[in-house]
Amino acid sequence: MTLIEKISIELGAPEPWPSDVKLFQPYEAEQILLPDNANCLATQAFLKMCQLPYAVEPRPNAEAMSPTLKVPFIKAGRFVIAELEGIVQFVNGKDITLTQPLDNDEKSNLRAYMSLIHSVLEMAELYICWVDSETYNEVTSGRNGSVYPWPLNYIQNWNKRSQVIKKLKTLGWYDKKLEDVYSEVETCCESLQARLNDQKFFFDHGPTELDALVFGHLFTILTTPLPRSDLANIVRNYPSLIDLVKRIENEYFKK
Amino acid sequence: MGTVHAKVQENLTEAHYPTNTARELPDKEQMKELDLKGVRARVDKVHIDGLSRTKNDIIQDSIQDLFKARDFWEVLLKAYTVRVKLDELGCFKNIAVYIDTSKGPKATPDGLEVTFNVKEHKRILGGVSTHVGNNEGVLQIGVRAPNIFGRGEKVQVEYSHGSKKTSNFNVAFIKPFRGKHRTMLNTSIFQSNTEYPPSAYKLMEKGLTLGLGFYSWPLLKHTLQWEGTIRDLSVLSRNASFDVRKESGLSLKSSLKHILALDLRDETIFPTTGSLVQLTSEYAGVGGDVGFLKNDVFVQTNYSILPDIVLQGSLTMGYMKSINKDLKISLADMYFLGGPLSVRGFQMRGIGPHSDGDALGSNVYWAGGLHLFTPLPFRPGKGGFGDLFRTHFFVNTGNVGNIEVKSGQSILELMRNNVRLSYGLGIALRLGNMARLEINYCFPYVHDKSDQTHPGVQFGVGVQFL
Repeated sequence: MTLIEKISIELGAPEPWPSDVKLFQPYEAEQILLPDNANCLATQAFLKMCQLPYAVEPRPNAEAMSPTLKVPFIKAGRFVIAELEGIVQFVNGKDITLTQPLDNDEKSNLRAYMSLIHSVLEMAELYICWVDSETYNEVTSGRNGSVYPWPLNYIQNWNKRSQVIKKLKTLGWYDKKLEDVYSEVETCCESLQARLNDQKFFFDHGPTELDALVFGHLFTILTTPLPRSDLANIVRNYPSLIDLVKRIENEYFKK
Repeated sequence: MGTVHAKVQENLTEAHYPTNTARELPDKEQMKELDLKGVRARVDKVHIDGLSRTKNDIIQDSIQDLFKARDFWEVLLKAYTVRVKLDELGCFKNIAVYIDTSKGPKATPDGLEVTFNVKEHKRILGGVSTHVGNNEGVLQIGVRAPNIFGRGEKVQVEYSHGSKKTSNFNVAFIKPFRGKHRTMLNTSIFQSNTEYPPSAYKLMEKGLTLGLGFYSWPLLKHTLQWEGTIRDLSVLSRNASFDVRKESGLSLKSSLKHILALDLRDETIFPTTGSLVQLTSEYAGVGGDVGFLKNDVFVQTNYSILPDIVLQGSLTMGYMKSINKDLKISLADMYFLGGPLSVRGFQMRGIGPHSDGDALGSNVYWAGGLHLFTPLPFRPGKGGFGDLFRTHFFVNTGNVGNIEVKSGQSILELMRNNVRLSYGLGIALRLGNMARLEINYCFPYVHDKSDQTHPGVQFGVGVQFL
């Protein structure tokens, strides 16, 4: 997070949560991809856990509009803040927090698990969407290109794919085989399940942004129809994680 | 410009013909010595020296006219126009013309031989140059291959970088065709980056153009162009207005454009007489996701009240409308008004709708200017350096806005409300034969609350001014 972003969050602090907050994301039905959808859902879950009102505003160019070029982002009054972490800080600035009762150890634990999800689940989702040719050809290319006219859809798919591949290469994920990706996901789920340890949420006292992030990713993995259902099958092997997802869905999204 | 060398035998002068046509000759000194129109002449032969790559057919086309000359005056005139035509082919860096009497067994009594001494361009030319674009200095690096297939075809590659962070890369292929319409094919691939601080966005464009230029009348120039461009619009800073931010992203414009220009001015920078009329129509929406119909007019007319004192009036207007609800109109396509090149006394894009200080576009505009150009007071440096300068008094006016024309409402009526007006004076300087530099002291006289005015000293440099 750059200094400017921090300053803008600080400046926004004294104002109360405006009533007309909008959350911008791509079109859910025909455009959004697995990793983006997971992050959008996680942010929505977080805002719902904080009981902060917002309205979802689908835009085909949501990604380009975002200050970090990643979805989702919210517009609260004059402020435009992107991604879950930024939004969590912005909300904390208004003295609304889900992590108040946590001690410092737990807080650093929470941060560690959140970065685990970003560095494993999100990468695995990107890998499946953009590197696995079956998923790319049948799902990703069509959805990502759906908002662009011919021939821009092909150009944009190609551009975006090379960007993602470049990112995966630097993080060492591009050279992995599909099986390696699956085993990474299994390890991640195992450590999450171990941390959850049959509690209601990851931390005793109630839901935090970590629960929101896990919910976002796992719910999206479980419900998104893809030519390869392996990821969903892996997640189904962890009943307590599934319970968590169901609990959050029922509590926050079905009311 | 080359030189025309003429040698005429002494005994031909005024011997056979009385000088009754003398008054029509513009040059009085020449008239006393020789009446060129009275000297019968025909061209027996035309030599072109120095051709190697250039094909004969395009040269033959250019020189045909010369054989129709019937007196020496016509020979001179036509030799000059042929020289211009050869120069327009862009194949030669130097053209000299020699006219001599015809010699040899087949020579006719009045026969002349015309020799064009040409020097072809090298196969590859390159250069670094600086020039001025719209209110910025630009450094340009270019390489071109003139006359690549021997018929005036040209391939050029240019890269330019401006002082306001614009950059432009362009590869073009240009081919002139034979015929009296002077048709020219022009295709190019380009990429450009431009920043628009008054609107807080930057634009990256990549595209193709395919154009055909021709004259339907000697001075009436048409340009037909197809343009396919991918545009990536992004905000310049975090605190850009959300109205600009929501326009971010990619769009694909595919448009057909027709430009009609009639330029009767005696020169482009400080004309003293004549008018310029330019009509531009653009239809976007042949493919792509951008759709509109846009029509623009620019008229300028010049009138010398006294020698060296020129009154210039200009009027420009434009209207665009959406053609389809599914096709969008990007911020980059819209009209903006204000600034040192349009309505002076306002900031760049300072007139019209703004959001958090960032200029938003409009779909209609008009602007007019009345300018009085005079030489510098007391005329320092007359006949030399001082002639590059003009004193300049002006009144500018205009309006811009978003107007949907409904039935029963006249667009003129709507544009008459809230007209802006500014006046001022300054000094204008000619930069080469292309651009003009102005330093003005401006008084914005009528403006709207949301406008950004620029009273006082304003500096402008550019190619086309209001």
